[in-house]
Amino acid sequence: MSGDDAVVSAPLERHSHVAEVVSVVDAIQDGMTVAIGGFINSGHPMAIIRELVRAGRRDLTVVGAASAGLEVDMLIAAGCVATVMTPYVGGEGIAAVGPAFRRAAQCGEIEVVELDEAHYYAGLRASAQRLPFNPWRAGVGTSLPEVNPRLKLFRDPVNDELLLAVPAIEIDVSLLHAAFGDIYGNVRHNGTRYGDIAISAASERSFVSVERVITPETTRANPLATSIDGVEGIVRATFGAHPFAAEGFYRPDEEHLREYVMAASDWLKSGSRTALDDYLGRYVLTPKDHAEYLDVVGFRRILGLYEF
Amino acid sequence: MSLQPTLSEPATAKETMAGVIAHDLRDGEWVEVGANLPVPRAGALLAHLTRGPNMTVMMAMTKAYLRDEPVLDEYEYITDVGAMRWAEAYYQHDVLLSQQRRRAKGVFFCGGVQIDRHGNSNLIGVGKDYRKLDFRGPGPIGTTNATAQSRRWHLITTTHDPRVLVERVDFVSAVGYGDGSDGFRSALGLPNDGPTYIITPLCVFDFDPRTRSARLASVHVGVTVDEVIAATGFEFPVGPEVPATVGPTDEELEILRTRIDRRGSLR
Repeated sequence: MSGDDAVVSAPLERHSHVAEVVSVVDAIQDGMTVAIGGFINSGHPMAIIRELVRAGRRDLTVVGAASAGLEVDMLIAAGCVATVMTPYVGGEGIAAVGPAFRRAAQCGEIEVVELDEAHYYAGLRASAQRLPFNPWRAGVGTSLPEVNPRLKLFRDPVNDELLLAVPAIEIDVSLLHAAFGDIYGNVRHNGTRYGDIAISAASERSFVSVERVITPETTRANPLATSIDGVEGIVRATFGAHPFAAEGFYRPDEEHLREYVMAASDWLKSGSRTALDDYLGRYVLTPKDHAEYLDVVGFRRILGLYEF
Repeated sequence: MSLQPTLSEPATAKETMAGVIAHDLRDGEWVEVGANLPVPRAGALLAHLTRGPNMTVMMAMTKAYLRDEPVLDEYEYITDVGAMRWAEAYYQHDVLLSQQRRRAKGVFFCGGVQIDRHGNSNLIGVGKDYRKLDFRGPGPIGTTNATAQSRRWHLITTTHDPRVLVERVDFVSAVGYGDGSDGFRSALGLPNDGPTYIITPLCVFDFDPRTRSARLASVHVGVTVDEVIAATGFEFPVGPEVPATVGPTDEELEILRTRIDRRGSLR
């Protein structure tokens, strides 16, 4: 009898990467560094973000997109955030600067890691390359190394030029939203993809909510369209970026975003959390899952957001 | 807002600013057209439509060629798919930031919560203590890098008052001539020569090459030198004769009002 017969193992099968919102949030513990993809008013994995708030995660270091949107502001408003590492938090014309971000930064309730978007990607690149830092030139002569002591000025050993060492941005879990994904974790974006690929490459684990789950055959028909191969979890979340846009599917829900901004601005200006707590209660804490959230928003509103 | 503005009305302050931007740009240069920045957007598009068939226009994170479009309506968001329909290429953001050689032909327009007499910009915030700011700004976004890497750049503000145009910024997020000392930029190894202008709704400042301080280059039509002095938080030299700013020509004004800014953001 050979030894091989003694090994009783499960049949070797390729396993599914399909995940649920709740299991993604289970992978995130208090104090972790969590990155969120998308860009300002588009492409944020909101079904997952709202569950993160419901689960009451605390002391997170949030690495927003190079230009993050109001999803980071909402996490700050909900008390989940200790540190923000992103060059912009806002909503363009809807809110030049996120109100909760502004308030927390002004009163020192969060640590802001001041970066230009070029430093942000240098830090992600260093993490992806498993290096301690990437060098960058821009930023010398500015206040950035003073207000962000993680940035170190140094003379490069090749040409003796003054440069900044941008430390690796090491991410525990990244959360992205994309157009499509298959059950093996292959992701396909519509549009420019923002910085999602760089964020994923800098992360230990990545989870992606998608508008549609596609078949592996569809993936193999055009491998060039695969933007990220093999993420840990694919979460089916139709309208999962709402109130933000999902390219190729729907536009931002401006009315909803303005409702949030009004509530958060009230907190900034008057110190009263009543309107903000109403918003969080109605849209985030009371709905038990993504489907109930969409119920609260309402079908007519959702169906009014198509691009063309 | 009328869709058919009276073309005989003189240029507004913001239209004048757009004209200044357009006249400065040259064919073959690379410009970004951001969202929610109507003046630099209009100036860059005006240059592209009137003098820039070989300009590379980055619009909504795409490379776009727009001269054949009769009307270019504004878009609200940098990720607006409506503004991506002219794309010849996508600019995936992390790739764009890795490809800095593009900026060898680049011209950039940098705003500021504060802008000082030596051409430094501050988007970080106002206050003496960084951990307890009186006013938190938007942050550097991409201005630290774009001002360092572009071949040429200008400062721009649509609010000309003493709180914005200050003697010395509280924090430097984009560095101009620093403290104004001789050789400041070359000692740091910064690749370009520093900002060329500060463009405001009242005037255009340039920089004295000997002192690297802002000086009055021109005032817009209808604005007096005294008004500029009263609205500026730093002292600046005024020559014996200050020329009037050359705003958009009649033809340019018509293009602005009928093709670029139908909604009247500049009026």
